[in-house]
Amino acid sequence: MTTNSSHAGRVVLVTGAGQGIGAAIARAFVAQGAAVAVLDLDHERAALTADELEAAGGTAIGVAADVADRASLAAALDRVVHRLGTVDILINNAGISPKHDGAPAPIDAMDEAEWRRVVDVNLTGAFLAAKLVVPAMQAKGWGSIVNMSSVAGRTYFPSIGVHYAATKAALIGFTRHLAGDLGPHGITVNAIAPGRIRTPLIASVPAAVNEAAIQATPLRRLGEPIDVATAALWLTSADAGFVTGQVVDVAGGWLMT
Amino acid sequence: MIGFDGKVLLLTGAQGGIARATAERFLAHGARLLLTDLDGTALEELGRRLDPTGGRVLTMAQDVTVPADALRAVTAAVERFGRLDLLVTAAGLYPEALVRDMPDDEWRRVIAVNLDGVFFTTRAAIPALAPGGAIVNVASMAGHRGSRAHAHYAAAKGAVTSFTRSLALELAPAIRVNAVAPGLIDTPMVQPLMAAKGEQLLAQTPLGRLGRADEVADAVAFLCSDRASFITGETLHVNGGLHIAG
Repeated sequence: MTTNSSHAGRVVLVTGAGQGIGAAIARAFVAQGAAVAVLDLDHERAALTADELEAAGGTAIGVAADVADRASLAAALDRVVHRLGTVDILINNAGISPKHDGAPAPIDAMDEAEWRRVVDVNLTGAFLAAKLVVPAMQAKGWGSIVNMSSVAGRTYFPSIGVHYAATKAALIGFTRHLAGDLGPHGITVNAIAPGRIRTPLIASVPAAVNEAAIQATPLRRLGEPIDVATAALWLTSADAGFVTGQVVDVAGGWLMT
Repeated sequence: MIGFDGKVLLLTGAQGGIARATAERFLAHGARLLLTDLDGTALEELGRRLDPTGGRVLTMAQDVTVPADALRAVTAAVERFGRLDLLVTAAGLYPEALVRDMPDDEWRRVIAVNLDGVFFTTRAAIPALAPGGAIVNVASMAGHRGSRAHAHYAAAKGAVTSFTRSLALELAPAIRVNAVAPGLIDTPMVQPLMAAKGEQLLAQTPLGRLGRADEVADAVAFLCSDRASFITGETLHVNGGLHIAG
């Protein structure tokens, strides 16, 4: 099977795609022939990433929305469907991990509003996006969803807040049950659990934390956003047609499940 | 993006359904192959069918329970193709017996093929594997959820998963080591099981069908490829959702 354009003709929605892992995922899908909606809270970042992909000869549009706000997300999805068609592949990547001077708030100092915002973006955002795109996937009898979990959702991971870890664990339960529900409709649902990946999020913690992570990683490096993007590509390709309900660690062996 | 041009694969148990599909995939992706199985004569025919010119496929008999056979296979791959990059251990045995009735020799035979065989072949291959190479062991859903009347098989496959992780630690960062855990795949191996309770098993599978051998082969190819360059020690399940856990 040729893999030169494994996703030709597919419409892909990537949330949180203005930078970091999301942008790398958008880039990887465009390179495989997909039409990609680059969704981000930051309008300018979404537009810049989409422009870059278009300039490289791909099909991409930037849309701004808050994934935690159903109305905002629904309006953005309307624009995507109008411009590109209904969504075949959803990558629930939008996520936040608030830090204070490079460290997460300890629980006794964690603001309730911060907790709620993390749950809203990281977990409820994935729910809302899936809720909105699934009907069209069911109508077509094909679809693929990838939720961005984290090794922090599976085990203790230094320098991560409890809100972030809780949402990433919840996304695994969400993935498994949604896979069971949607399997009979020909829709696969999987999750990726990245380890420490070189992104703006990672740059916000002290260098010593990242150095310690590298030493604890068998492959002896940080992951790159493209390492996560290639896993997302594979999970949504025809090659992975019998893979559903699974969580794939992309962590260089830091965690092995 | 998946390409194995210039790469050499050693594949054990090559006559099996999943292994045949794996051989076809890796050949299509540009690899050169040494295929081994217990019956070398039958394997020659498979080799000729895959590659009539014989330039890219070599076959030889290997009893995976015999350490010397593993060394002979690795030596043959290196002599013929000049290198070894990829190892896929697919040799397996899947007899049926309840534990209370299981003869000693059947237990030993299943552990010998499914577990000792992985160890012997891997140990022989390690010195020859080129940096940047990869190993994929064929584990099984049975190793995660158990398998009634196949306790020996399930125990061996569970052990293969643990072996995979330990080996990943030993060989990093030069060589990545992963496993695939197939569920019910449409091969001769699962036919007795499907005849007995196929309807029930398919009803429990969210995707509502058996997997195809080429779908497992694609997972093996992914794990061996640069697309999985930050994935090691991992077990990738290909089971249509029949087992969702862990």
